[in-house]
Amino acid sequence: MELQKHITDATTEIFETMIMLEISAGDPVVEKINNFKCSVSGVIGLAGTCKGILAIHLPDKVAMSITGSFLGMEVTEVDDDVTDAIGELANMVAGNIKMILDEAGKDVTLSIPSCVHGAEYTLDTAADCERVVVPFNLESGQFLVELQVKN
Amino acid sequence: MENNLQQQIINATQAVFDTMLMLPVTSGVALPDKVYLFNDSISGMLGFSGDVQGMLTIHCPQQIAFCITGQLLGMEVDGMDEDVKDTIGEMANMILGGIKDAFLERGTDISLAVPTVMSGRSYRVKTVDYASWTTVPFYLDDGEFLVELKLKTLD
Repeated sequence: MELQKHITDATTEIFETMIMLEISAGDPVVEKINNFKCSVSGVIGLAGTCKGILAIHLPDKVAMSITGSFLGMEVTEVDDDVTDAIGELANMVAGNIKMILDEAGKDVTLSIPSCVHGAEYTLDTAADCERVVVPFNLESGQFLVELQVKN
Repeated sequence: MENNLQQQIINATQAVFDTMLMLPVTSGVALPDKVYLFNDSISGMLGFSGDVQGMLTIHCPQQIAFCITGQLLGMEVDGMDEDVKDTIGEMANMILGGIKDAFLERGTDISLAVPTVMSGRSYRVKTVDYASWTTVPFYLDDGEFLVELKLKTLD
Protein backbone atom coordinates (compact mmCIF):
# COMPACT_ATOMS: atom_id res chain seq x y z
CA MET A 1 0.00 0.00 0.00
CA GLU A 2 2.81 2.37 0.98
CA LEU A 3 4.83 1.51 -2.10
CA GLN A 4 1.85 2.07 -4.37
CA LYS A 5 1.39 5.58 -2.95
CA HIS A 6 5.10 6.32 -3.29
CA ILE A 7 5.04 5.28 -6.95
CA THR A 8 1.93 7.31 -7.73
CA ASP A 9 3.11 10.45 -5.92
CA ALA A 10 6.61 10.34 -7.40
CA THR A 11 5.53 9.60 -10.97
CA THR A 12 2.69 12.13 -11.00
CA GLU A 13 4.97 14.87 -9.74
CA ILE A 14 7.63 14.19 -12.37
CA PHE A 15 5.06 14.26 -15.16
CA GLU A 16 3.50 17.49 -13.85
CA THR A 17 6.73 19.35 -13.30
CA MET A 18 9.19 17.94 -15.84
CA ILE A 19 7.32 16.31 -18.71
CA MET A 20 4.24 18.54 -18.69
CA LEU A 21 1.91 15.69 -19.62
CA GLU A 22 -1.26 14.73 -17.82
CA ILE A 23 -1.32 11.19 -16.51
CA SER A 24 -3.72 9.24 -14.32
CA ALA A 25 -2.78 6.30 -12.14
CA GLY A 26 -4.72 3.04 -12.32
CA ASP A 27 -5.05 0.22 -9.80
CA PRO A 28 -1.91 -1.83 -9.16
CA VAL A 29 -1.46 -4.77 -11.48
CA VAL A 30 -1.74 -8.03 -9.58
CA GLU A 31 -0.54 -10.54 -12.15
CA LYS A 32 3.15 -10.93 -12.83
CA ILE A 33 4.24 -8.96 -15.89
CA ASN A 34 7.73 -9.79 -17.10
CA ASN A 35 7.32 -10.06 -20.85
CA PHE A 36 7.44 -6.92 -23.00
CA LYS A 37 6.92 -6.46 -26.74
CA CYS A 38 8.18 -3.49 -28.78
CA SER A 39 8.84 -1.66 -25.56
CA VAL A 40 11.40 0.42 -23.74
CA SER A 41 12.25 -0.19 -20.08
CA GLY A 42 14.22 2.21 -17.92
CA VAL A 43 15.76 0.48 -14.90
CA ILE A 44 17.64 1.88 -11.91
CA GLY A 45 18.90 0.18 -8.76
CA LEU A 46 18.23 1.31 -5.19
CA ALA A 47 20.90 0.55 -2.63
CA GLY A 48 21.54 1.47 1.01
CA THR A 49 19.25 0.50 3.87
CA CYS A 50 16.52 -0.16 1.34
CA LYS A 51 17.57 -2.27 -1.64
CA GLY A 52 15.58 -2.72 -4.79
CA ILE A 53 14.82 -1.77 -8.34
CA LEU A 54 12.68 0.85 -9.99
CA ALA A 55 11.63 0.15 -13.56
CA ILE A 56 9.43 2.00 -16.04
CA HIS A 57 8.03 -0.03 -18.92
CA LEU A 58 6.62 1.81 -21.95
CA PRO A 59 5.39 0.62 -25.32
CA ASP A 60 7.53 2.20 -28.09
CA LYS A 61 4.71 4.61 -29.03
CA VAL A 62 4.33 5.93 -25.47
CA ALA A 63 8.10 6.19 -25.02
CA MET A 64 8.32 8.29 -28.20
CA SER A 65 5.46 10.58 -27.19
CA ILE A 66 6.93 11.19 -23.71
CA THR A 67 10.38 11.85 -25.17
CA GLY A 68 8.86 14.24 -27.71
CA SER A 69 7.10 16.15 -24.97
CA PHE A 70 10.19 16.14 -22.73
CA LEU A 71 12.54 17.39 -25.48
CA GLY A 72 9.99 19.57 -27.26
CA MET A 73 10.43 17.91 -30.64
CA GLU A 74 8.85 15.27 -32.81
CA VAL A 75 10.16 11.74 -32.28
CA THR A 76 9.43 9.06 -34.87
CA GLU A 77 11.68 6.19 -33.85
CA VAL A 78 13.19 4.70 -30.72
CA ASP A 79 16.66 6.20 -31.03
CA ASP A 80 19.30 7.29 -28.53
CA ASP A 81 17.19 10.32 -27.56
CA VAL A 82 14.39 8.01 -26.47
CA THR A 83 16.56 5.55 -24.55
CA ASP A 84 18.38 8.46 -22.87
CA ALA A 85 15.08 10.13 -21.96
CA ILE A 86 13.57 6.95 -20.54
CA GLY A 87 16.72 6.22 -18.51
CA GLU A 88 16.55 9.77 -17.21
CA LEU A 89 12.83 9.36 -16.46
CA ALA A 90 13.59 6.28 -14.33
CA ASN A 91 16.31 8.33 -12.62
CA MET A 92 13.92 11.19 -11.83
CA VAL A 93 11.10 8.99 -10.54
CA ALA A 94 13.58 6.98 -8.44
CA GLY A 95 15.04 10.25 -7.13
CA ASN A 96 11.60 11.29 -5.93
CA ILE A 97 10.96 7.89 -4.33
CA LYS A 98 14.36 8.09 -2.66
CA MET A 99 13.35 11.37 -1.02
CA ILE A 100 10.08 9.87 0.22
CA LEU A 101 11.88 6.81 1.62
CA ASP A 102 14.60 8.97 3.20
CA GLU A 103 11.93 11.01 4.97
CA ALA A 104 10.49 7.75 6.25
CA GLY A 105 13.84 7.06 7.93
CA LYS A 106 15.51 4.96 5.23
CA ASP A 107 18.80 5.85 3.64
CA VAL A 108 18.59 5.13 -0.05
CA THR A 109 21.15 5.75 -2.78
CA LEU A 110 20.66 5.25 -6.51
CA SER A 111 22.76 3.46 -9.11
CA ILE A 112 22.97 4.81 -12.66
CA PRO A 113 19.99 4.13 -14.91
CA SER A 114 20.03 1.65 -17.75
CA CYS A 115 17.61 1.34 -20.61
CA VAL A 116 16.47 -1.82 -22.38
CA HIS A 117 14.75 -1.79 -25.75
CA GLY A 118 13.65 -4.63 -27.96
CA ALA A 119 11.00 -6.39 -30.02
CA GLU A 120 10.47 -8.94 -27.29
CA TYR A 121 12.27 -9.35 -24.00
CA THR A 122 11.66 -10.43 -20.44
CA LEU A 123 12.76 -8.63 -17.31
CA ASP A 124 12.87 -10.39 -13.95
CA THR A 125 14.24 -9.60 -10.55
CA ALA A 126 16.15 -12.46 -9.05
CA ALA A 127 15.63 -11.74 -5.38
CA ASP A 128 13.02 -12.03 -2.71
CA CYS A 129 11.27 -8.69 -3.16
CA GLU A 130 8.04 -6.94 -2.39
CA ARG A 131 6.80 -5.87 -5.78
CA VAL A 132 4.24 -3.23 -6.80
CA VAL A 133 3.35 -2.34 -10.39
CA VAL A 134 1.19 0.72 -11.06
CA PRO A 135 -0.21 1.46 -14.53
CA PHE A 136 -0.48 5.07 -15.69
CA ASN A 137 -2.66 6.25 -18.55
CA LEU A 138 -1.98 9.16 -20.82
CA GLU A 139 -3.24 10.22 -24.23
CA SER A 140 -0.80 8.03 -26.18
CA GLY A 141 -1.46 4.89 -24.15
CA GLN A 142 -0.40 3.24 -20.94
CA PHE A 143 2.88 2.62 -19.18
CA LEU A 144 3.89 0.77 -16.01
CA VAL A 145 6.01 1.82 -13.09
CA GLU A 146 7.38 -1.06 -11.07
CA LEU A 147 9.03 -0.82 -7.69
CA GLN A 148 10.64 -3.82 -6.04
CA VAL A 149 12.02 -3.59 -2.55
CA LYS A 150 13.94 -6.39 -0.90
CA ASN A 151 12.28 -7.77 2.22
CA MET B 1 41.83 3.56 -13.78
CA GLU B 2 40.67 1.78 -16.94
CA ASN B 3 43.35 -0.88 -16.58
CA ASN B 4 42.50 -1.28 -12.94
CA LEU B 5 38.85 -1.78 -13.74
CA GLN B 6 39.67 -4.35 -16.40
CA GLN B 7 41.85 -6.23 -13.90
CA GLN B 8 39.21 -6.05 -11.17
CA ILE B 9 36.57 -7.44 -13.53
CA ILE B 10 38.94 -10.25 -14.53
CA ASN B 11 39.93 -11.07 -10.93
CA ALA B 12 36.36 -11.10 -9.65
CA THR B 13 35.01 -13.13 -12.58
CA GLN B 14 37.87 -15.64 -12.44
CA ALA B 15 37.32 -16.08 -8.71
CA VAL B 16 33.64 -16.92 -9.23
CA PHE B 17 34.44 -19.42 -11.97
CA ASP B 18 37.28 -21.00 -9.97
CA THR B 19 35.52 -21.30 -6.64
CA MET B 20 31.81 -21.58 -7.46
CA LEU B 21 31.63 -23.11 -10.91
CA MET B 22 34.91 -25.04 -11.22
CA LEU B 23 34.88 -24.10 -14.89
CA PRO B 24 38.07 -23.00 -16.64
CA VAL B 25 37.59 -19.53 -18.12
CA THR B 26 40.04 -17.29 -19.95
CA SER B 27 39.73 -13.54 -20.25
CA GLY B 28 40.36 -11.30 -23.24
CA VAL B 29 41.27 -7.64 -23.32
CA ALA B 30 38.68 -4.94 -22.72
CA LEU B 31 36.69 -4.19 -25.87
CA PRO B 32 37.35 -0.84 -27.54
CA ASP B 33 33.69 -0.36 -28.45
CA LYS B 34 30.50 -0.40 -26.48
CA VAL B 35 28.27 -3.38 -27.14
CA TYR B 36 24.55 -2.57 -27.15
CA LEU B 37 22.77 -5.26 -29.08
CA PHE B 38 22.23 -8.79 -27.85
CA ASN B 39 20.58 -11.69 -29.68
CA ASP B 40 19.23 -14.88 -28.08
CA SER B 41 20.94 -13.82 -24.89
CA ILE B 42 20.38 -13.26 -21.22
CA SER B 43 21.84 -10.37 -19.23
CA GLY B 44 22.13 -10.06 -15.46
CA MET B 45 22.35 -6.46 -14.32
CA LEU B 46 23.10 -5.11 -10.86
CA GLY B 47 23.27 -1.48 -9.83
CA PHE B 48 25.38 -0.04 -7.04
CA SER B 49 25.95 3.28 -5.34
CA GLY B 50 27.93 4.81 -2.52
CA ASP B 51 31.32 6.43 -3.14
CA VAL B 52 30.80 5.66 -6.83
CA GLN B 53 27.61 4.90 -8.71
CA GLY B 54 27.36 2.37 -11.47
CA MET B 55 26.12 -0.88 -12.86
CA LEU B 56 27.60 -4.30 -13.48
CA THR B 57 26.15 -6.43 -16.26
CA ILE B 58 26.96 -9.94 -17.45
CA HIS B 59 25.78 -10.70 -20.99
CA CYS B 60 25.59 -14.38 -21.97
CA PRO B 61 24.41 -16.08 -25.15
CA GLN B 62 21.71 -18.58 -24.14
CA GLN B 63 23.95 -21.62 -24.61
CA ILE B 64 26.56 -20.17 -22.27
CA ALA B 65 23.90 -19.33 -19.70
CA PHE B 66 22.62 -22.92 -19.86
CA CYS B 67 26.17 -24.23 -19.45
CA ILE B 68 26.90 -21.99 -16.43
CA THR B 69 23.56 -22.85 -14.81
CA GLY B 70 24.03 -26.57 -15.41
CA GLN B 71 27.48 -26.42 -13.89
CA LEU B 72 26.35 -24.44 -10.83
CA LEU B 73 23.29 -26.60 -10.15
CA GLY B 74 24.84 -29.88 -11.24
CA MET B 75 22.13 -30.72 -13.74
CA GLU B 76 21.34 -30.61 -17.43
CA VAL B 77 19.78 -27.31 -18.56
CA ASP B 78 18.37 -26.80 -22.04
CA GLY B 79 15.72 -24.10 -21.71
CA MET B 80 15.37 -20.55 -20.45
CA ASP B 81 13.68 -21.08 -17.09
CA GLU B 82 13.70 -19.60 -13.59
CA ASP B 83 16.85 -21.54 -12.71
CA VAL B 84 18.78 -19.88 -15.53
CA LYS B 85 17.46 -16.40 -14.67
CA ASP B 86 18.26 -16.84 -10.98
CA THR B 87 21.74 -18.12 -11.81
CA ILE B 88 22.61 -15.24 -14.12
CA GLY B 89 21.30 -12.73 -11.57
CA GLU B 90 23.38 -14.46 -8.92
CA MET B 91 26.44 -14.38 -11.20
CA ALA B 92 26.12 -10.58 -11.39
CA ASN B 93 25.80 -10.53 -7.59
CA MET B 94 28.89 -12.70 -7.02
CA ILE B 95 31.10 -10.89 -9.54
CA LEU B 96 30.12 -7.46 -8.24
CA GLY B 97 30.65 -8.77 -4.69
CA GLY B 98 34.27 -9.47 -5.62
CA ILE B 99 34.66 -6.04 -7.22
CA LYS B 100 33.10 -4.42 -4.14
CA ASP B 101 35.79 -6.07 -1.97
CA ALA B 102 38.54 -4.86 -4.33
CA PHE B 103 37.08 -1.33 -4.27
CA LEU B 104 36.94 -1.38 -0.48
CA GLU B 105 40.63 -2.26 -0.25
CA ARG B 106 41.25 1.00 -2.05
CA GLY B 107 38.94 2.88 0.29
CA THR B 108 35.95 3.04 -2.07
CA ASP B 109 32.77 1.84 -0.42
CA ILE B 110 29.80 0.73 -2.52
CA SER B 111 26.46 -0.77 -1.67
CA LEU B 112 24.61 -3.14 -4.04
CA ALA B 113 21.01 -3.04 -5.29
CA VAL B 114 19.19 -6.23 -6.31
CA PRO B 115 19.89 -7.94 -9.63
CA THR B 116 17.61 -7.70 -12.66
CA VAL B 117 17.68 -10.25 -15.45
CA MET B 118 16.83 -9.48 -19.06
CA SER B 119 16.46 -12.03 -21.80
CA GLY B 120 15.10 -12.14 -25.31
CA ARG B 121 15.64 -12.79 -28.99
CA SER B 122 16.94 -9.32 -29.64
CA TYR B 123 17.32 -6.41 -27.25
CA ARG B 124 19.49 -3.37 -26.74
CA VAL B 125 20.84 -2.23 -23.40
CA LYS B 126 21.96 1.37 -23.08
CA THR B 127 23.00 3.59 -20.26
CA VAL B 128 23.48 7.27 -19.75
CA ASP B 129 26.24 9.17 -21.54
CA TYR B 130 27.92 10.26 -18.35
CA ALA B 131 29.20 6.77 -17.59
CA SER B 132 32.50 5.09 -18.42
CA TRP B 133 32.31 1.57 -19.81
CA THR B 134 34.72 -1.30 -19.36
CA THR B 135 33.66 -4.49 -21.14
CA VAL B 136 35.77 -7.62 -20.83
CA PRO B 137 35.12 -10.75 -22.92
CA PHE B 138 35.57 -14.18 -21.35
CA TYR B 139 35.91 -17.50 -23.14
CA LEU B 140 34.59 -20.90 -22.15
CA ASP B 141 34.75 -24.10 -24.20
CA ASP B 142 31.19 -23.42 -25.35
CA GLY B 143 31.65 -19.79 -26.33
CA GLU B 144 32.06 -16.26 -25.11
CA PHE B 145 30.34 -13.98 -22.63
CA LEU B 146 30.86 -10.35 -21.58
CA VAL B 147 31.19 -8.68 -18.20
CA GLU B 148 30.62 -4.96 -18.32
CA LEU B 149 31.22 -2.38 -15.61
CA LYS B 150 29.79 1.10 -16.00
CA LEU B 151 30.78 3.87 -13.64
CA LYS B 152 29.35 7.31 -13.35
CA THR B 153 32.06 9.75 -14.30
CA LEU B 154 32.38 12.91 -12.30
CA ASP B 155 31.91 16.06 -14.31
